[in-house]
Amino acid sequence: MAIFEINDVSFQYPNDEQLVLQNIQLYVEQGEFIVLVGQSGCGKSTLLRQLKRELAPHGQRNGSIKYNGIPLEELDPKIATSDIGFVLQNPENQVVTDKVWHELSFGLESLGMDTPTIRRRVAEMASFFGMHTWFRQKTVELSGGQKQKLNLASIMVMQPKVLLLDEPTSQLDPIAAMEFIATLHRLNEELGITIILIEHRLEEVLPVADRVIVMEQGQIIYDGSPRLALASLPQNHTMIQALPTAMRVFHAFNQTGEAPLTIKEGQKWLAAQHIEKVKLIEEPLGTNRPILMEAKNISFRYERDSEDILRSFQLQVYEGEILTILGGNGTGKSTALKVLAGLEKPYRGDVHIKGKKLQKYSNAELYRNVIAVLPQDPRTLFVEKKVKDELSKMVHGKKEVDVQLKELIALLEIGHLLERHPYDLSGGEQQKVALAKVLLLEPQLLLLDEPTKGIDAFAKQSLANLLKSLQRKGLTVVIVTHDIEFSAMYSERCALFFDGNIVSCDNPRAFYSGNRFYTTAAHRMSRHVLDQAITCEDVVASCREM
Amino acid sequence: MPRNVTINLRMIISSIIFFIIMPLVIYLGVTVLEDRKYYFVSIVLVLLACVPFFLRFERRRPQPREILTIAVMAAISVAGRCLFVVTPAIKPVTAITAITGISLGAEAGFITGATTALVSNFFFGQGPWTPFQMFTWGMIGFIAGLLGKTGIMQRKILLALFGVFAGLFFSFGMDIWGAISTAGMFSKEAFIAAIASALPFTIIYAVSNVIFLLLLAKPIGEKLERLKQKYGILQ
Amino acid sequence: MRVFEKYHPIVLFSYFAVIIFMTMFFMHPVYLAITLIGAMSLNLVLNGRDFFKSLKMYIPVFLLIMIINPLISHNGEMVLFYMNDNRITLEAILYGLAMATMLVSVMLWCSCYNSVMTSDKFLYLFSRVSPVFSLVLSITMRLIPRFTYQLKLIGQSQKTIGMDYTIGSLWHRIRCIMQILSILITWALENAIETADSMKARGYGLQKRTTFSLFVFEKRDGILLAVIFLLFVISGIGSLLGSTTFYFYPALTGISSTLKHLFFYSVYAMLIVIPVGIELVEGLKWRYLKSTM
Repeated sequence: MAIFEINDVSFQYPNDEQLVLQNIQLYVEQGEFIVLVGQSGCGKSTLLRQLKRELAPHGQRNGSIKYNGIPLEELDPKIATSDIGFVLQNPENQVVTDKVWHELSFGLESLGMDTPTIRRRVAEMASFFGMHTWFRQKTVELSGGQKQKLNLASIMVMQPKVLLLDEPTSQLDPIAAMEFIATLHRLNEELGITIILIEHRLEEVLPVADRVIVMEQGQIIYDGSPRLALASLPQNHTMIQALPTAMRVFHAFNQTGEAPLTIKEGQKWLAAQHIEKVKLIEEPLGTNRPILMEAKNISFRYERDSEDILRSFQLQVYEGEILTILGGNGTGKSTALKVLAGLEKPYRGDVHIKGKKLQKYSNAELYRNVIAVLPQDPRTLFVEKKVKDELSKMVHGKKEVDVQLKELIALLEIGHLLERHPYDLSGGEQQKVALAKVLLLEPQLLLLDEPTKGIDAFAKQSLANLLKSLQRKGLTVVIVTHDIEFSAMYSERCALFFDGNIVSCDNPRAFYSGNRFYTTAAHRMSRHVLDQAITCEDVVASCREM
Repeated sequence: MPRNVTINLRMIISSIIFFIIMPLVIYLGVTVLEDRKYYFVSIVLVLLACVPFFLRFERRRPQPREILTIAVMAAISVAGRCLFVVTPAIKPVTAITAITGISLGAEAGFITGATTALVSNFFFGQGPWTPFQMFTWGMIGFIAGLLGKTGIMQRKILLALFGVFAGLFFSFGMDIWGAISTAGMFSKEAFIAAIASALPFTIIYAVSNVIFLLLLAKPIGEKLERLKQKYGILQ
Repeated sequence: MRVFEKYHPIVLFSYFAVIIFMTMFFMHPVYLAITLIGAMSLNLVLNGRDFFKSLKMYIPVFLLIMIINPLISHNGEMVLFYMNDNRITLEAILYGLAMATMLVSVMLWCSCYNSVMTSDKFLYLFSRVSPVFSLVLSITMRLIPRFTYQLKLIGQSQKTIGMDYTIGSLWHRIRCIMQILSILITWALENAIETADSMKARGYGLQKRTTFSLFVFEKRDGILLAVIFLLFVISGIGSLLGSTTFYFYPALTGISSTLKHLFFYSVYAMLIVIPVGIELVEGLKWRYLKSTM
């Protein structure tokens, strides 16, 4: 018997004409690992929330949802709570209490269990997840990855049979995200827990999934094995960008049948192809352009007796380039960006902009027409109730900027968002509005902190196009990121930040083909046969002439 | 039926506290303690006065969203203090408590004020002043909530007047009462001396309350209203 | 070391409640001296060198209260001198001294309380009395550091679009601060929706909650609690029998040193010395264990 039977479910939000879900038909078997994908706004979150009674959004639902043969609304509340676990997107927001142990016991307290039972279950869970070393810590002291693990564990103590997860890794760095997926895989393999996961980082997830469900505009357009997904997606469908590298290359070679999912499978498959290598054209490094910004021997720490975060940090930024600064989580690359932007003051060394020391600029000079910063969390910029007011606030209703504002709205394709509340937008849309806001200050240099965090493949693509067209208009862009693929595809120079300094800096091809571990999936997959391909497009291009 | 029972129980306990225990404490304070332990007696009274509010809050079993709104408002009051190093002696605590009371009702207002006081003392040190602070801020939230229900707080003038009142109330509750009760005597001179020495602070409290209330009441009210609209009931 | 603070929160809380209560009550020179010395030595044990730094705060308070009383109160028989036609009496000075001792002792005990009764212990105790309010406190405690951090981020973002709250006129600063606060409030309230969902997903409101904690009430906690209670009751009896009676006005009473009173003084001293005693004994035990290992 299916653990979930979803029969002909449609859903409509109040005051909304459109159906968010249309006649959804879905059976979930006990022990399955299902990945649910689709562009933001396709209704996947709404569908997932329908399965958790306590979190189902207000609105009109038709059709029936049965859990173990019982209609969801007739299920005993205690069973509904403990059997069906739900993990949300933001690790920070789900943590309720101030201590790790208290957080773990929260659900069991709600279920009215006695102290010995709670003690045992909590101990069991902390041991299973390897949390005993930070069991007594305060929740604020945990990293994002630890917090999400805690959220998962505090659901698991209630011993659920099904886990529903809504983009649980989108706010994590790649390493923490991989660990989280590995934990889910373990829960599925070792305990047979049914998992339904919404995810847009498919590289690691798809290989462990039994089934993938693709949604579009409130409907399921594919439901089946991950390997065969390509065949049923239309050519050039936006979802294809989100698939694992091996699949994308497979697709680009116009192959059909069972697609390779992992790097290993991809390597094997590529080796079996008869390919003729084509030399890729090397783009010249743009170092002959004038220097726009230069960091000279910067050292920085937060407290007088804390560790140095920047150690004689050096960097040149050339006019008109897109530079990405890469590095692991917590290495201090965001701090480096803040120092470059004049938001933190180094105790040694200087930042020079157009040959003038940063301290010599007044705030008004610096942040008007020189530097703009897009913060990691765009919501730190939003004050107003409507996107429109958010933008017009920046230009104080001057006539000549009106035209500029219109151009910018057209360029960023945010015209349809103007009447909405900034908090009602998706992550990608919020970012665009924030970007529009800082671009209205007409900067020469744009600094972006982790811009690809939490946005889907489609939004990433649109951000990249945008940055490229801004670059053509003469804007210089510096991006701090841990998104290797993004950096390989769209930047002109990549710099590796490690231990407080830049350790290597080169054009993406030289940079990523020189690395063996810290490099793109496409390069890892193709290194054995091609030595310079770093993106899917590269792999395809170097092999075209078969 | 059970609801009626809880309400009655609450009423009975509250009445017992207000009409029997509290007068008894005062009586004992005057007779047995020979009218000297004002400080001690006032702490006991203030603690007792808080009990009915907590009791009601417990019995009502508030929903997660209400609990969180209260916690968010209290945490903002405490965290907000770090912003105000650049504008000394001005703090938004009173205004935020009052606005929560106006938006969420008198009880939520009391709990917000009391939470703010108790939690901020986890950072700055607990002491005999904690119950006083809990009660004064709680009452400011409570009164604001009662007035908010009548709708008169929509008018700027009255909001400003309330700010002045809250400033005086807080000053009396903390500085003046504190000074008198610690000194352990009730004389006209002591009273005047305490008021005079607290006057500059009282003025700052009142003025900053008025400013904060006028600037924050509308935006916070709108934000809470938006959540009510978007996610259904808050209360 | 710090053994005392490992006792069950109920024991710690009762101890401080009893001590602070008696300190406020017993305005008798011997009792005041005992409590002041006790408070200072526990502070020294708990806070070490920081105690000497904190003296900078306590001494002025002490002096201030001591001086103010004789200036306001002119009761008493022993007139020392006149100031602006007002009598300055010995009794008033001594009463000021007693008052100052009492207040500073209370402050010192509170400082010990703050370092021993951390917020989680208090929350635990409170959760027995008022579980929902205690949950509100716990959530608030969790949110404060998060908001403080977010405020910094918002401040930085706002600086880059011309709203720097650290410079400019007072009005500009207030406007910037209001904007920052407003952004924080929106952000916090929207995020709170997800936190509420997380609570609901874990069955909050389903039925009456139980309260779990890591604290275990051991035998030693029971023993210490009984000892505290016993000594407290004896001191109370002593007080009823007049051992704590002392009048400053109109003239000072003498300090009685009969056997009966000496007994009650020493009971009080025993109660006061409990935490310091536990620390010292435990310290010696460790030294012994180390040397025999």
